[in-house]
Amino acid sequence: MTALPTLPAAPDAPAAQDAPARRSHGGRVEPVHYLFLVPTLVVFTAFVVVPALIGIFYSLTDYVGFGEWSFLGVRNYAALFSDPRILESYGFTLGFALVTVVVAQVVALALAVALTRRIRFATTLRTVFVIPMVVAGIVVAYVFNFLFSNSLPALATAVGFGPLEESILGNPDLAWLSIVIVSAWQTIPGALLVYTAGLTSVPNELYEASALDGASPWRQFRSITLPLVAGFVLINTILGVKGYLGVYDVIVGLTGGGPGTATSSVAMTIFGGFTGGDYAYQMANATVFLLVTALISVAQIVATRGRAVRL
Amino acid sequence: MSSHVRPGLSRRSFLAGSAALLALGAAGCAPSSRAAGGVTLRFYEQKQEVVAYFDELLRRFERERPGIAVVHDSTVAIAPQFVRNEPADVGCFNDNLELARYVERGVLGDLSDLPSARTVRTDIGELTDQYATYPGRTSVLPYSLAAAGVIYNKRIFADHDLPVPATWSQFVDVCEELRRAGITPVYATDRDTWTLWQGLFDYSVGSLVAPGEFFRRLTEQGTDVGPDSPVSFEKDFAVPMERARTISTYFNEDHAVRAYADGNLAFGRGEAAMYLQGPWALSQIALVDPDLEIGTFPLPVSEDPDDRQVRVNIDLGLWIPTASTHQEEARELVEFLMRPDVINAYNADNLAYSTLQDAPPQQDERLAGLQEYVDRAAFYQGAGTFVPTSIPLGNYLQEAIRSGDFESMLRTLDADWRRLAGREATV
Repeated sequence: MTALPTLPAAPDAPAAQDAPARRSHGGRVEPVHYLFLVPTLVVFTAFVVVPALIGIFYSLTDYVGFGEWSFLGVRNYAALFSDPRILESYGFTLGFALVTVVVAQVVALALAVALTRRIRFATTLRTVFVIPMVVAGIVVAYVFNFLFSNSLPALATAVGFGPLEESILGNPDLAWLSIVIVSAWQTIPGALLVYTAGLTSVPNELYEASALDGASPWRQFRSITLPLVAGFVLINTILGVKGYLGVYDVIVGLTGGGPGTATSSVAMTIFGGFTGGDYAYQMANATVFLLVTALISVAQIVATRGRAVRL
Repeated sequence: MSSHVRPGLSRRSFLAGSAALLALGAAGCAPSSRAAGGVTLRFYEQKQEVVAYFDELLRRFERERPGIAVVHDSTVAIAPQFVRNEPADVGCFNDNLELARYVERGVLGDLSDLPSARTVRTDIGELTDQYATYPGRTSVLPYSLAAAGVIYNKRIFADHDLPVPATWSQFVDVCEELRRAGITPVYATDRDTWTLWQGLFDYSVGSLVAPGEFFRRLTEQGTDVGPDSPVSFEKDFAVPMERARTISTYFNEDHAVRAYADGNLAFGRGEAAMYLQGPWALSQIALVDPDLEIGTFPLPVSEDPDDRQVRVNIDLGLWIPTASTHQEEARELVEFLMRPDVINAYNADNLAYSTLQDAPPQQDERLAGLQEYVDRAAFYQGAGTFVPTSIPLGNYLQEAIRSGDFESMLRTLDADWRRLAGREATV
């Protein structure tokens, strides 16, 4: 179906370092450790790898999901690259993922920094901020749908703010903003939790020492906090981008891909193929999308490799 | 899955196993234990509004025909059962492009030799052929015909002395007068894009261009679709879309952000004079105001009153997959459902029309305005139903209504159609 979750091992994860040490220490790995991998490997192979390979095979045919089919070679792929709707959906999805990941990370990091300071009600606020994470995406989307369609325009009319008197969901130039807002709102808690964990691991002595040296809070953030949580930024960004690229339920609940086709994501066009009898063609689309997603993840890792500072 | 209890089985695991089997049985996956010694059929019908109704019918069938048990499968998606090659023994499904895929590939058996097949109105039977045929077979028996037109608020029309329009210019006059009186002429719900093609698009096209014929010729042309080809969206739908554009100027102001449920609510509250919806909306509107006086008429789009036709669709059709291992029993069930007392009662009770010759008219007042058109087969299947879902017609309409530029939409449709034909994508 949609892209596989390509979860790269974070390059600076502790396990990666400890493993060689343990190996040299014990001579060889306990065979039972391999045994632990078996259930995951079996399930992953049976339910992810095999279906994906079958799907990739059918993307080379005119299969509709049942009955007979014939082999087409790469014709589906050739058609894909000349289909303006497909290209448009890639443009939208990539742009959306880029904007949303930036918005979500900036807000989440800012909130995390604020919440790890000794402010009042930090615990209560942390709980409140996490709520969006536990609500299903489609529910969130429908609630926001109501806010954007009714409440916001009513509010704008009441205060006489022209641009928002018409719902942004009906405006092809602005509808994407609603999806960014809801997606970010929904994913910020997860990133926030990771950043909170990251920030608490930064020793307080560093801040005290830098304060003695006369560093401003901004300078502390730039020279201490940011380098030390860079690894967490990487993890959050990769996970975030991966999630945003597969955006589906939020769009279904908010705009249905409209107005027109202004907010049709790749996942939506792929899914449309299953109900529309366009199975093989959209399978080709899914295969391309899988490659694109994998490439982006690899590019992110390469680009940020070695940037994280370790103490 | 085996249901045998091995001697060594502990009580707890036996209980757990039984519970699991019960759950499976309830989900319709393990029907083998029903009618002992008899045959168990799986009947597929997923139209939510009538699931309970068909349950009743199936129980009645079981009483009348001991030895056959019927399990009602109401899962939403039709494809998985064919993908697994385990289709239901009898299907009862909306006849549309989706069902056409199965017809075309010959996985639905021939029903032409059933006695009831000869009792179906031929002009309705022919409708199923517009989507797909399989050589030498009657793959689908039409069971229920739904007719749709313009739903109007009789009270508003009477208060302003407005006639039911019979020509396009009369329709525009009615809209103008309503607007002058400060009443929303037509309520539209752009957010649910299906409502756009079902109403605005299909009604504007149907009485001017015969959709079945148009799409047959369009398909024959293959990739040769454009302004210079014998038929094309750009050429043949130009006038209908001019109509659609005009109608869209009479929509409620917030049409862009309104959804189907909003529409039913607003119309039920008398906030608009007309509503381009099918009979399915009537029960929803009745929830808002059961006493609202409602009428229906076919949308006139030309100056000749005789051109008017209603939009119909075969809301339910019966079929038996060739893969069913209980062909004889499946046929018995189909014959039971097609019995005049059963099929006519179903349609009378569900705001639809029986497909049998000499069927009684639909008694519901609200649909009276469409009856004569159904009777003399002055109907068409909506143009939008011939457009594969891989072309997002509803979304295109949304954009066209917003910009008022229906011509580019028609050019896009031609281009999309060319591309589909080019990679030989079937419906």
